Amino acid sequence: MRLSILKAALLGAAFGLAALPASAQTKVTNNGITPTEIVIGTHQDLSGPIKGWGVPVLNGMKLAVEEINAAGGINGRKLRLIAEDSAYDPKKAVLASQKLVEKDKIFAMVGPMGSPTVIASQDILFDAGVLQLFPLTAAEFTYKFDPKKPQERLKFSNLLPYVESTRAALKYMVEQKKPKAVCIMYQDDEYGKNVFDGFTQQLDAMKMKPAAVTSYKRGASDFSSQVAKMKSENCDLVVLGTILRETIGAMAEAKKLGWDVTFLGATPTNIPDTIGLGKDTVEGLYAAGAFETPYADTAKGRVKEWTEAYKKMFGTEANTQSVIGYNAVMTFAFFAELAGKELTGAKMLAALEGGKAYMDIFNSPPSKFSNTNHLANTITQVQQVKNGRWVVIKDGLAF
Amino acid sequence: MRFIFKTDYDQDIRILKHSGYWWSYGILLAVMVATPYVLGSYMQSQLVFVFIYAIVGVALMILTGFTGQASLGHAAFLAIGAYTAGFMQSLGVPFIVYFPLAAVLTGVVGALVGFPALRLHGIYLVIATIAFAFIVEEVLARWESVTHGNEGMRVRTLDLFDIPIPRDSDAFYFLCLLVLVGVSVLALNLLRSPTGRAFIAIRDSETAGKSMGIDLAAYKVKSFAISAAITGMAGVLFAHKMTFISPEMFTLLLSIEFIMVIIIGGAFGVHGAIFGAIFIVMVDPFLTALKDDVPVLVSSIASSLGMAKETATDLRDDLSRIGSAAGLKGAIYGLIIMMFILFEPYGLYGRWLKVKLFFQLFPLYKRATFKRQKTYVKSERNR
Repeated sequence: MRLSILKAALLGAAFGLAALPASAQTKVTNNGITPTEIVIGTHQDLSGPIKGWGVPVLNGMKLAVEEINAAGGINGRKLRLIAEDSAYDPKKAVLASQKLVEKDKIFAMVGPMGSPTVIASQDILFDAGVLQLFPLTAAEFTYKFDPKKPQERLKFSNLLPYVESTRAALKYMVEQKKPKAVCIMYQDDEYGKNVFDGFTQQLDAMKMKPAAVTSYKRGASDFSSQVAKMKSENCDLVVLGTILRETIGAMAEAKKLGWDVTFLGATPTNIPDTIGLGKDTVEGLYAAGAFETPYADTAKGRVKEWTEAYKKMFGTEANTQSVIGYNAVMTFAFFAELAGKELTGAKMLAALEGGKAYMDIFNSPPSKFSNTNHLANTITQVQQVKNGRWVVIKDGLAF
Repeated sequence: MRFIFKTDYDQDIRILKHSGYWWSYGILLAVMVATPYVLGSYMQSQLVFVFIYAIVGVALMILTGFTGQASLGHAAFLAIGAYTAGFMQSLGVPFIVYFPLAAVLTGVVGALVGFPALRLHGIYLVIATIAFAFIVEEVLARWESVTHGNEGMRVRTLDLFDIPIPRDSDAFYFLCLLVLVGVSVLALNLLRSPTGRAFIAIRDSETAGKSMGIDLAAYKVKSFAISAAITGMAGVLFAHKMTFISPEMFTLLLSIEFIMVIIIGGAFGVHGAIFGAIFIVMVDPFLTALKDDVPVLVSSIASSLGMAKETATDLRDDLSRIGSAAGLKGAIYGLIIMMFILFEPYGLYGRWLKVKLFFQLFPLYKRATFKRQKTYVKSERNR
């Protein structure tokens, strides 16, 4: 009996709270904000399986911090970034998040890397009222939130989700190329599953049937059976839910068989490394993407300055990953600036949900959020490898 | 040096051999109980991971350390425990039921793995257990109705008799501590029983054991089952600590980490599992702390020695840039492990025993006490 009274009371309280404006109940920390600086944290894979992403992303973030501080900081406060290595291990990500929250007292977690690592550690942030901003995973859990759980409002994503981007790019390709048989090869993990979901949803919507569905285990290096199967089904458009080596591997295998077919990669294939490693093999590859790939020699204006500054600071060429890292911090800075001189956690949340759009220097679609939508946008581009460069074929795509 | 006057045969196999044990373990337990009230949740979380790794370490110690059967498949047992917890919980089964159930289920799977492993030795057994781990990983990825496949599975907060125990609470810490203490006592107790002596006999020489009437098949399967069951329990705690599980978390790398726990700890005593777990879990946060604190410390020392403030700040920035170089932590970690295997084959527990003996025998300590005895070198032919 006592329990049911308690339950009724809780239920009543829940309804009462639901009637209030939502931001009133979300606890947001004011830690990490001092009169002179704002402390933000991140965990990256700097030594694990996806360090090809983690290192340039962190470099991009460092460059952004450097730039912001050189220009006088955010409303007079310098930005300090504390980075930890998670090695793509959820256990280390949990410990790193706890360390950042407890010892370094970060104000926000910006651009943490990877799906399992982010999902395992996000509750720590929410419990402490730390914002989880723009993680480097395009999975649904980074922006979908339950309005009944006020702490979940602390998550925001500015990446192009795999499902939506695959759908938009596939729709464009089908309309342009009018393929007779569409096939897919995807990586057997959470990322590949997302691409596969986008693929099946779009084909369903267009009343088409997949001609062949193939998959491979992460780390595989031989794709002969998958490619042979797709060839025998006479596929003329192949969607690749692959990362780096597999993209090249699949295309090399097709070349070896003398099979001339159109390949469409998901967003992770849209990085300069694909061309750097694949050379001629990946010529002609299409990919879904979010923004133009920066090239030092052809870039103009601010992008050119940016690529030069990056090269000067890190001694390597900037790539798509570094743009994403750079944008994560820049987007944070934009909204923190918007939140005003008397920055608090609540003001930051209000600024983020305020609907103002952040425009980056790379000509990406605007990033804006509302109190019901914590995903920046789903506007997709299709790019193609032409003469060893990513070239935008069509932008502003949706499905 | 303590001399024990033995008046009873049981004294040889007592777990607490003399009053000193009561004192030292009593103090250790008191410290562990007081810890969550003193330390913050970051340290507490590290200790919880130490406990979970130590539970797996004890399990692996029974199988590898005492029965001599190497396994690189313990990540799979951990996964089975974790997924059992996640799935049972989603069906509304209470913790008090699915916790032992996970142990039983994992134990049964462990016994099944043990059967074909009967005819395999050494490196071949390792390969067989790796194969088993791959099969489990594949099943977890494919059996979507139960495991949610590669998308992974959210594990809700542990609920004990309608009281929620969040993963960062003191209660969760005590639960893990309790399981670790329970499992360690069970292991120590097992080892002084005829079963445990049979395990050790199998490890030292299968031929000799067989000729003494030990049923090799039965004991090997038993060892596998017990080890797997304990790992399954750790899996339940692991799932609740992580709150999210996916097949890619239970890879070969994790199994290797577990083997390293007992090798670094010292694969000849239950203590080794705990020492090893402390090392494996804590070394990374320790290196992180060093990376943060050493540059500040060095620059403050330098400035107190008369270095200009500007130069000291530059020094600090340079040092912290070196400290946060990508992969440096991994390299240091690898180096420490290599040093251990080269210079301390008995592991941390071995070092502990040597230090203890040094003080007990002072000044008569002989280095040769711990020299590897040739008689223990087994030949492949004479198993």
